[in-house]
Amino acid sequence: MARRPYDMLFKLLLIGDSGVGKTCILYRFSDDAFNTTFISTIGIDFKIKTIELKGKKIKLQIWDTAGQERFHTITTSYYRGAMGIMLVYDITNAKSFDNIAKWLRNIDEHASEDVVKMILGNKCDMSDRRVVSRERGEKIAQDHGIRFHETSAKLNVHVDTAFYDLAEAILAKMPDSTEEQSRDTVNPVQPQRTGGSGGCC
Amino acid sequence: MTTKYMERLAKIEEVLLIANKKIDLNELRAGCSYGVPESLRPLAWRLLLHYLPLERHDWQKFLAEQRKNYDDMIEQIIVEPGTASMAINSVQEEEDHDHPLSDHPTSDWSAFFQDNKVLSQIDKDVRRLYPEIQFFQLLSKFPHPHGMKYPLSRRVINHQELTSQEFGANRDGIVGCVKTKVAKSQDENQAPNSEFHWHFSLLTALLNSNFQIVERILFIYAKLNPGVQYVQGMNELVAPIYYVFANDSDEEWAAYAEADTFFCFQQLMSEVKDNFIKTLDDSICGIESSMSAFHNMISSFDSELHKHLTSTLEIKPQFYAFRWLSLLLSQEFPLPDVITLWDALFSDPQRFALLQYVCLAMMELQRESLLQGDFPFCVRLLQNYPDTDVAKIVAFAQDIRDGKATRPVPKEASKGSKIARHARQLSDTLRNLSIIKK
Repeated sequence: MARRPYDMLFKLLLIGDSGVGKTCILYRFSDDAFNTTFISTIGIDFKIKTIELKGKKIKLQIWDTAGQERFHTITTSYYRGAMGIMLVYDITNAKSFDNIAKWLRNIDEHASEDVVKMILGNKCDMSDRRVVSRERGEKIAQDHGIRFHETSAKLNVHVDTAFYDLAEAILAKMPDSTEEQSRDTVNPVQPQRTGGSGGCC
Repeated sequence: MTTKYMERLAKIEEVLLIANKKIDLNELRAGCSYGVPESLRPLAWRLLLHYLPLERHDWQKFLAEQRKNYDDMIEQIIVEPGTASMAINSVQEEEDHDHPLSDHPTSDWSAFFQDNKVLSQIDKDVRRLYPEIQFFQLLSKFPHPHGMKYPLSRRVINHQELTSQEFGANRDGIVGCVKTKVAKSQDENQAPNSEFHWHFSLLTALLNSNFQIVERILFIYAKLNPGVQYVQGMNELVAPIYYVFANDSDEEWAAYAEADTFFCFQQLMSEVKDNFIKTLDDSICGIESSMSAFHNMISSFDSELHKHLTSTLEIKPQFYAFRWLSLLLSQEFPLPDVITLWDALFSDPQRFALLQYVCLAMMELQRESLLQGDFPFCVRLLQNYPDTDVAKIVAFAQDIRDGKATRPVPKEASKGSKIARHARQLSDTLRNLSIIKK
């Protein structure tokens, strides 16, 4: 058939407190660069990157959100369509870690049930200012059955790994050949969820 | 072009003539609506934002009073609490009554920490102002004589150290540098650099950089308006005003840039603050209704574009218009362009009706690209609007508003594009099918 620029489209979302480095993580991943002087994200921003995974071309559509509470009404409307959510905190900022629980509740309330979640402890290059130990990060992720990575957008530590890992988890969840009912996340023609989707498969 | 400019300059100068006892605001608006010459802008903005009274002979007294008011606010809001916070040792003596860990609601410390929560958010954002220009990192020529002794960014630092280093910004602020200095043996390569940074930051923390002045303005506003406090993005609304006032060639006025910016910002906020209040989002004055009004405007002016964006691509106004409207386009263009754009916005007698037309003009100028683009292309275009002559956007916006612009003709008749669109839809459907089958 005609050329197809990609095989699959995954919608990802970056959330977390303001100033934890969401935009820097995304910029590192999409442009492989680091910049400390980003303006603050207002509302929602957007980047695209196509990756290859298991022989498939996967287009990642990544939404970057504003961290401040005020923007939650604006940003939570994107949770629904997201197939993967990265929840970012800053290892040098205890408050941003404490808020993980709040962000997880947000996900439960607004995202679809089968969304793949991941927690990222960013700024792991700043070990002299670390206030959240790696173990605490791992523990909270484990308690919620979520993937976890410590990243540094600045030194490019585990940023790619995190995105590939998330994409892989989403891919693994995809119905392989099952003739399943259309999945609302990939089929814009059918935006409504089918009733009683809670207990399927 | 130059003659037009000269005419405009002459017109504005005529309105602002010293001989005119009272400024004719309508004339001033008419003169400024296509842009204000740099030398007259600081005065024109003070008038257009309803800060300066129109009676010229009131100015001197009024300004003296307002600037004194601002000094008093600094004294009450920053210097007095600042004195307490910076003299931690002397506070120790009063430990019986109040102490940093007290959670008593009337505790001065508790209020202090509450303030610092707001402050640390402001601090993160003001450091990120217009990174492409140096101005906000430079030292202010006229720092506030009292305020400068209590730089707010230092309070954020005190807070950090008192509450087990709770501070989120990855910045080269004084905190990071002091710590880097202590820990420099861990990273020999960075040590000399850190040393330099440490001295540099210490210096800038004690003197006042322009971003710290914006910080002070925002903090005082947040304290005086507890219902609004500080919302990310307000920094972007203060910055252009402060930039214009601080670069006034008349140094007598430039010296009061901080106080006057505060009051002008307050005036501006009185008109746009609803955009920042979450509880008003769904009300008639909130940002959601501004966004839907904007999309309705696109729909009635250019139904084809509206249909393409909303029905075909499902692009919501939240993706781009939220930022455009709530920040008065301040994040979409380089600062000099934002300033020219604001000349027009501030001159709008029905503030901020013109803003919506400016946004519509921006859409129309990119119409062809938008109609041909797919979802990612269009979102990216709208979130990173290409460099454009803003004067052209403003002129077009005014034409649309005044009914002088011709509506675009839907291309339904054009066979070629119709076939192309069908082909695109078909390929989209096929792609979706192939995704589902995988």
